[in-house]
Amino acid sequence: MMNAVLERFRTIGHRTLSSIRRLGRGHLFLLNVISVLAGMMTRPGLLIKQMYSVGVLTLIIIVVAGLFVGMVMALQSYYALVDFGAEDSVSVMVVLSLLRELGPVVTGLLFAGRAGSALTAEIGLMKATEQLSGMEMMAVNPMQRVIAPRFLASFLSMPLLALIFSAVGVIGAYMVAVMLLGLDDGAFWSQAQAHVDVHLDIVNGIIKSAVFGFVAAWIAVFEGYDCIPTSEGLGQATTRTVVYSSLAILGLDFVLTALMFGD
Amino acid sequence: MTDTPPGHHLSDTLIKIRGLHFSHGQHVIFDGIDMDIPRKGVTAIMGPSGTGKTTLLKLIGGQLKPGSGTVEVDGENVHRLGTAELYALRKRMGMMFQSGALLTDLNVFDNVAYPLREHTRLTEAMIRQLVLLKLNAVGLRGAAQLMPSQLSGGMARRVAMARAISLDPMMIMYDEPFTGQDPISMGVLVQLIRNLNNALDICSIVVSHDVRETLSIVDYAYIISAGRVIEHGSPDDLRASVSEWTRQFIDGLADGPVPFHYRARPLLEDLFDNGGRR
Repeated sequence: MMNAVLERFRTIGHRTLSSIRRLGRGHLFLLNVISVLAGMMTRPGLLIKQMYSVGVLTLIIIVVAGLFVGMVMALQSYYALVDFGAEDSVSVMVVLSLLRELGPVVTGLLFAGRAGSALTAEIGLMKATEQLSGMEMMAVNPMQRVIAPRFLASFLSMPLLALIFSAVGVIGAYMVAVMLLGLDDGAFWSQAQAHVDVHLDIVNGIIKSAVFGFVAAWIAVFEGYDCIPTSEGLGQATTRTVVYSSLAILGLDFVLTALMFGD
Repeated sequence: MTDTPPGHHLSDTLIKIRGLHFSHGQHVIFDGIDMDIPRKGVTAIMGPSGTGKTTLLKLIGGQLKPGSGTVEVDGENVHRLGTAELYALRKRMGMMFQSGALLTDLNVFDNVAYPLREHTRLTEAMIRQLVLLKLNAVGLRGAAQLMPSQLSGGMARRVAMARAISLDPMMIMYDEPFTGQDPISMGVLVQLIRNLNNALDICSIVVSHDVRETLSIVDYAYIISAGRVIEHGSPDDLRASVSEWTRQFIDGLADGPVPFHYRARPLLEDLFDNGGRR
C-alpha cells in the first residue's frame, strides 16, 4: 500500500520534472532560433519558399472558412436583431466580431491544424531520416536552414491570413445580408465604417494574430525538432502541436482581449 | 594500454581517442576506449548491434559530447571547439549515414551540389562539372535528375557517398554502409569504398557488423563490445584470433561472451511465478 502511494508520488514528480525540462528546452530552442534569424536574410529564397508552403497553401481553407463564418454570422445576427428592428446593425456585429475575435482565433486554429501539423511532421521526418544530422555533418546549421525559415514564414503569414479571413468573412456577410436578406447596401457599409476603429479593432486584431502566429510557429517547429524519431513519436508530436497550439491560442486570446479591450 | 596499430607513427594518426566514456542515462556505452585511426587507409570499427558504433562516429563528428575522455581529429580536440571551429572541421569530414540522409526535397544533383553551394563561391558551371564528376565516380551520373524517393537503398547510399566527397574531405565516415543491401549493391558499395579511398588517398572509417565484406577491404580493424575495444589488428590478425569475443563475432556464433539470452530471471522461476495471482 505504502509502496503504491510512494510510486504514485514518484511518477508525479518524474512527470513534473520532465515537463519543466521540456519547457526549458523549448525556451532555449526559441532563443536559438531567434539568434539565427538575422543570418537567414542572406537567403531570402528559403523564406519565400516557406511562405508559399505555409501561407499560400493554407489560403484555400482560410478563404472557405472565412466565407462560411461570415455568412453564418450574418444570418444569426439578422435573426437576433430583426426582433428589435436593428437589422441594419448586422454589419457592425459581423465586422467587429471578425476583426477582434473570429479572424485571429479561427485563423490561428485552422493554421495550427493545417500548417502547424504539417511543419511538425516535416521536421520530425527530417530528424527521423537523419537529414538534420546530415546537415550538421555537412557543417550546415539546420536551425538556420530548416527551422528559422519555417518559423519566420509562419509568424509572417498568420496576420496576413487573419486579415484575408476577416475580409472574406465580410464579403460572405454582405452576400447574405444584402443579396439574400435584402438589407440596404448603403446601410451595411456605412454602419460598418462608422463603428470600426482602425487602432482599436484592426490593429489589435493584427497584433493578436501576430502573437498567435508566433506561438503556433514556435510550438510546431519545436515539437518537430524535439520529437522521438519513430513513427509513434512523430504521430504524438503532430497531435501535441495541434492540441498545444489550440489551447495556447484560446488562452492567449482571453489575456489579450482583457488587455486590449478592457477599461 | 593505448590501442595503436603496430608500426604506426603518431604523426600518421588522424583521429586519436583517449579514455572515452559515454553513457545514455544509466546505460554505459563506452567505458574508457582508446583508439588511433591512421591518416590514410580504410579502418573498420566493428562490433555487435547496439555496441555504440554509430555513437562513436557521432562522437568523432562532435554531434555528441562524451562523459569524459578526448577525441582529437587532426590535432584538434573536437569537444573543446567552438561552433565555428567545429563547423570548419566538419567541412573536412565526410559522412555517409546508414539511411543516406539525402534531402528529400532536392534531386540527386542538388543533393551533391548542396555542400558546394553552401560552402564555396564557385560558379554554377563549375559546380555542375564537379557534381557530375562526383556522381560519375559512384556510377550515378545518369541519375542526376532523379529524386531521392526514386532511388533504391544502394543508390541512395552511393549518392550520399558522392555528397560526402564533394568538398574533398580528409576523411569519410561510413555508417553501416552494407546493411540491408542485396549482393550486387553490397559488392558495388564494398568496391566503391576501397576504390574511392585509393583514389583520394584519405582516411576512411567503416562502421559495420558485416564481417566478411568489411574485412575484405580494410587495412585495420577494431572490434568493440560491452563498451571496450576487445581486439584490434589487421584483417588477418583478427581472422586468426583465439579470443573468445573475437571468435564469436567473426564466426557469427549465437552464444558466447555475448549471451544469446537477454538478462532475465531463471526460466523456472519465471514460469512458476503467477505474479501474485492464484
